Amino acid sequence: MKVMMTWLVFLMWMFVGLGATQAEEKIVLKTVNITLDQVTLKKGMSVFADTCMGCHSLRYMTWKKLMDYPEIGFSRKEVDELRDGAPLNARIMTSLTAADAMASYGIVPPDLSVMARAREGHGAYIYSLLTGFAHDPKGRIPDGNYNLYFPGHNIAMPDPLSWLDHDPEDENELREQARTVSSFLVFVGEPHQIQRQATGRWVMVFLVLLTIVLYALKRDVWKDVKHHK
Amino acid sequence: MVEKILGSRIAVWVDDRTHLVRYIRFHVIDYPTPKNLNFWYVFGSIALLILVLQIVTGVFLAMDYKASAVSSGGGFSIAFDSVERIMRDVNYGWLLRYMHAVGASAFFFVIYLHMARSMYYGSYKKPREFLWLMGIFILIIMQATVFFGYLLPWGQLSFWGATVITDIFGAIPGIGDWLLQLARGGFSVGDPTLGRFFALHFLFPFLLGVFALWHVMALHVAHSNNPTGVDPGEKNIIPFHPYYTVKDMFGVSAFLIVYAYFVFYHPTGFGLMIETENFNPANPMQTPGDITPVWYLTPWYEILRTVPNKMLGIVGMAFAFICLFILPWLDRSPVRSARYRPVYRSMLIIFFASIAVLGYCGHHPVTPALTLLGRAAAIIYFSFFCLLPFIHKCEKTKPLPEDIMT
Repeated sequence: MKVMMTWLVFLMWMFVGLGATQAEEKIVLKTVNITLDQVTLKKGMSVFADTCMGCHSLRYMTWKKLMDYPEIGFSRKEVDELRDGAPLNARIMTSLTAADAMASYGIVPPDLSVMARAREGHGAYIYSLLTGFAHDPKGRIPDGNYNLYFPGHNIAMPDPLSWLDHDPEDENELREQARTVSSFLVFVGEPHQIQRQATGRWVMVFLVLLTIVLYALKRDVWKDVKHHK
Repeated sequence: MVEKILGSRIAVWVDDRTHLVRYIRFHVIDYPTPKNLNFWYVFGSIALLILVLQIVTGVFLAMDYKASAVSSGGGFSIAFDSVERIMRDVNYGWLLRYMHAVGASAFFFVIYLHMARSMYYGSYKKPREFLWLMGIFILIIMQATVFFGYLLPWGQLSFWGATVITDIFGAIPGIGDWLLQLARGGFSVGDPTLGRFFALHFLFPFLLGVFALWHVMALHVAHSNNPTGVDPGEKNIIPFHPYYTVKDMFGVSAFLIVYAYFVFYHPTGFGLMIETENFNPANPMQTPGDITPVWYLTPWYEILRTVPNKMLGIVGMAFAFICLFILPWLDRSPVRSARYRPVYRSMLIIFFASIAVLGYCGHHPVTPALTLLGRAAAIIYFSFFCLLPFIHKCEKTKPLPEDIMT
């Protein structure tokens, strides 16, 4: 008992030590309800086409995949309207060239295919970023480049949803645009995630049943082994 | 049923020519095992299963993976593209990749528990010293294998992790530069590095397979220890089949529930198994915020990092492994199991805690407090081995049981 208590005190001391190192300040992201239903994903894609595709690409998505993934399930007609003459099998690419981007923004806008997976916070990060434009309290970074959630706060992307100084009556619509496009990018980051979870359910049920059967078998085989305890 | 198969005319025909049935009988049917092995003894079997899973999923992944760091435009590379192609366009490619990535973490988790078991019950002691040596050797090959494998997705952490670790070779006096360039295939990590790492990542698991089988064969000569550490005696011996075959099957199945849960519901392991930063394609022009290895390598990395001098850091890390190698000769107590060794038991628990703390520190960016904590843990890690040769003199061991079943 005494020994156990010593361990407890020792381990607690160690964890207090760990806690003390966590003092570092972290940006707290906004919470957002990411949903991967068809309505949200379709709306998200149209927001992407209207606001993001001017600068950003989805190199791992093709127009055809917007029809082929049942999770999005665009019709041929809807895709034809969106793709604007691009070949059906082509990747979803921006028409902005790297040289033009460098001239206008000083940076080539990153591809967004796996962006939702590549940032801490995932969908919530993208949502926070899109609704995070503000006035720099120190007045150093110009409006449209100051973002509360971007590391260092100085972002080259100029407020795509015109969030800064928006009319209060537009707030809900802007939030919904940010939410749907964030959800869409979460989906594009891993298009098989719904299938993965659906398959997982059956695998889990099978393994739990198998484990129960094997446990019963183990009990049965071991019952003739004497345990004199 | 097993008897029917092993006694069949085909089996006898094969056995007459290769002794195959005799091997099977010796290693998995008749192998005499103590009655009292508890759940801690299941991790060896689980580790063997994971090795097979890793090789099978790995071979299928290699069919679609392309080891080329050549740019495919927009900051991406052919290697990064091929991984995303596996995730998106290859049938069940996502499943293969997640099984492989979660499998790597599961492998280390299980192997660390397997080693902890061995240390707790004194399984490394005479006559099983050679088993322990092989085990540590297997651990080192495993660590090399994951290190090579981690470069393959050609993400930011792949690139910078490989850069930082190969840099270590450069600090070795005299041959450092030569070794560094040999490892990288050039002055910096690039396409030649990826090529050789892929080849070695494919080769090493087969070495692991050979050594794991040898490990099992050596076990069957020295025989299994048990939680009491006392020799079991004839009456407490049971054949491996059916007793431990069913027990291990149950254990493996229970393990698979946890494994499948991660594969299907948390395949990135909350950013611990596949790190968020690594979804950014490798960019030699931009260093990521903090470069830390995956969780299972962090304790050793922290020992390296916590020493102020780079060369001494390498020496420290080498010593961390040397200490593990010579453990059977450092411990001089005649009693095996920690159940009857109060002092050793306490030391061991602190030792395990120090590894956990080292791992925690190694996974986080350097802060003054963490550096201090890491150093304290490193000192505890080494003092365990320094004290071990002397404690048997003052340790009052509890009386050993007459019978392992009591």
